[in-house]
Amino acid sequence: MNINEKVKKILLVDDDIDLLEQHKIILEAKGFNIITAENVENGFALFKKEKPDAAIIDLIMEEHDSGFILCHKIKRDPFGKTIPVFILTSATYVTGFKFGASTSEEKEWIECDAILNKPIVEEELLKKLEAFYETLRK
Amino acid sequence: MNNVKPHILIVDDEKGLLSGTKRLLESEGYITYATESGLEGLELARQNELDLALIDLKMPDMNGIEVLKEIKKIQPNTVCFIATAFASYDTAIESTKLGAYSYIPKPFTPEELIHQLERGYEKRLMILEAERLKKEREERLLEVAYEKTRLRTIINSINEGVLVVNKGGELVLFNSSAVKFLDLNELYIGDVILDILPSQISGLIKKYIESDDYLPNSYSTQIDLRTNRELCIDATCSPVPDTNGKLAGIVTVLKNITEQVKYEEIKSQFVSMVAHELKAPVAAVTGFIKLILDDSITKSKVQEKDYLNRSYTRLQGLIAMVNDLLDISRMELKNKQREIKELDIIPLINSVIEFMEFELKKKNIKVEFNVNTSCTILKADQNELNRLFTNILSNGIKYNKDNGSIKIDVNRSGTYQVIKIEDTGIGLKPEEKKKLFQEFYRAKNEKTQNISGTGLGLSIVKRIIDSYNGKIEVDSEYGIGTNFIIYFPVGD
Repeated sequence: MNINEKVKKILLVDDDIDLLEQHKIILEAKGFNIITAENVENGFALFKKEKPDAAIIDLIMEEHDSGFILCHKIKRDPFGKTIPVFILTSATYVTGFKFGASTSEEKEWIECDAILNKPIVEEELLKKLEAFYETLRK
Repeated sequence: MNNVKPHILIVDDEKGLLSGTKRLLESEGYITYATESGLEGLELARQNELDLALIDLKMPDMNGIEVLKEIKKIQPNTVCFIATAFASYDTAIESTKLGAYSYIPKPFTPEELIHQLERGYEKRLMILEAERLKKEREERLLEVAYEKTRLRTIINSINEGVLVVNKGGELVLFNSSAVKFLDLNELYIGDVILDILPSQISGLIKKYIESDDYLPNSYSTQIDLRTNRELCIDATCSPVPDTNGKLAGIVTVLKNITEQVKYEEIKSQFVSMVAHELKAPVAAVTGFIKLILDDSITKSKVQEKDYLNRSYTRLQGLIAMVNDLLDISRMELKNKQREIKELDIIPLINSVIEFMEFELKKKNIKVEFNVNTSCTILKADQNELNRLFTNILSNGIKYNKDNGSIKIDVNRSGTYQVIKIEDTGIGLKPEEKKKLFQEFYRAKNEKTQNISGTGLGLSIVKRIIDSYNGKIEVDSEYGIGTNFIIYFPVGD
């Protein structure tokens, strides 16, 4: 499966503008079209307007759970349900608090399709995008 | 006979016998009180402590039996002898019934008399010793009773809960704190309480009771007695040995650790927040360096320079944040070792304005400083006040527009120095205002994007004001400006 055919436009949301730009440059170099927002409100507006093929959302923005909130909003949207939405965080290292979105229980309250480690590593992103379409096919 | 001379009363109406006996006894080392009259004998008994009494049975003014009776009333421990020439079995019995120690028939030889009196004195010493022991025992019993009350008072005055059970699991001793901690209405000595206690505690107690050997160790457990950390208890059980070293009972000490648990939680939250905030600039700089090093990504010289500039800015921010954090930790220590003295707030604020002159000129911001009171002296630590006004003023400059202004008003209201600092900056949205004093909170909106800050400045301001029991209010309109009003206690 060629991911670049399925996923062309990715929405990136992060309140750290430096990291936002770095991720944009890296992913654009891999051939993705990147659109960016710096908070939940603008992120959701951009999602509605641009209908991206995937979304990557930083967890801690204005609030400690801003990422989860935006994730919920997107996943409640009929179109949002069909695209992969990933939470971007380094919280797992900082707090030692492990969370993932692998069990069905976790998926129930964290409505994202995967957790991405910060900073984004291309291989990990591609693997998780592939995994999303893999489960979708089943 | 020991060194102490026995005191003896001699009552006899026969003059010759009386003086003879007196002489004999004095030569034997007795201290004598001699009289021919029964009444006088009683008078002597009232005035002197007597070890022995030798009483003649037949006297003109008073019967010897009567004298004996009266002496026994006055001094029950005096050993009395009845002497008589009319020795009869009946009088002997009667006088012993009345408390006479013995009966000496007249006439008697000096040896007979001395022998009898010596035995009587031994008896007297035994009586005294028995008295002393009895008194001592009574005192000790009283002491034990006192001790018990004292122990109960001490145990009841302890904030920690104390609960002692015997090896049958019955309650032996407890205090009111224990009842309070365990949320029990009433508790009685002798109650079997293992089933009433929280299972974690009774589990520990059973460990001692059910063990075949004496367990010398103490065991602790922490219990969240109500939900949501409303009451957290540390329970420590220790064995109480009997005189043979076997288990007599178990003492449980209950300590309220709610505050401690909450504090630990706040601390660990703060630490993870600090870690997150410190990590962000490091991650940004690392990202920029990787971009520059990555040959697969094309970029211009100008872009590379931009990445380096932005890395530099982030690192500067990181240093500022570390400095603020150090200030916060220093301040927590300083609560104990700050230097509180009388300060005039006017020169202090003026020096802060002077210190900020470069920043003020850069944005061409005017400062208007009005002092509306003659009372401007308050008690505080100078460094802390410097920090307070520097932080507020630097925010007033940083978030101000070019050619804006800052107005400072100093007033006195009761026991408060009221300082109002008004700027013409970008102001705050209502939801931002609520979080303004939180650690690491920075208003994030289109207007603050290019302003750097640690998110700790105002939290430091709040910490300082709180530590003096003062108050800070904020009034702001987005796009117009922000007013801070500080109510600082003047101090006594």
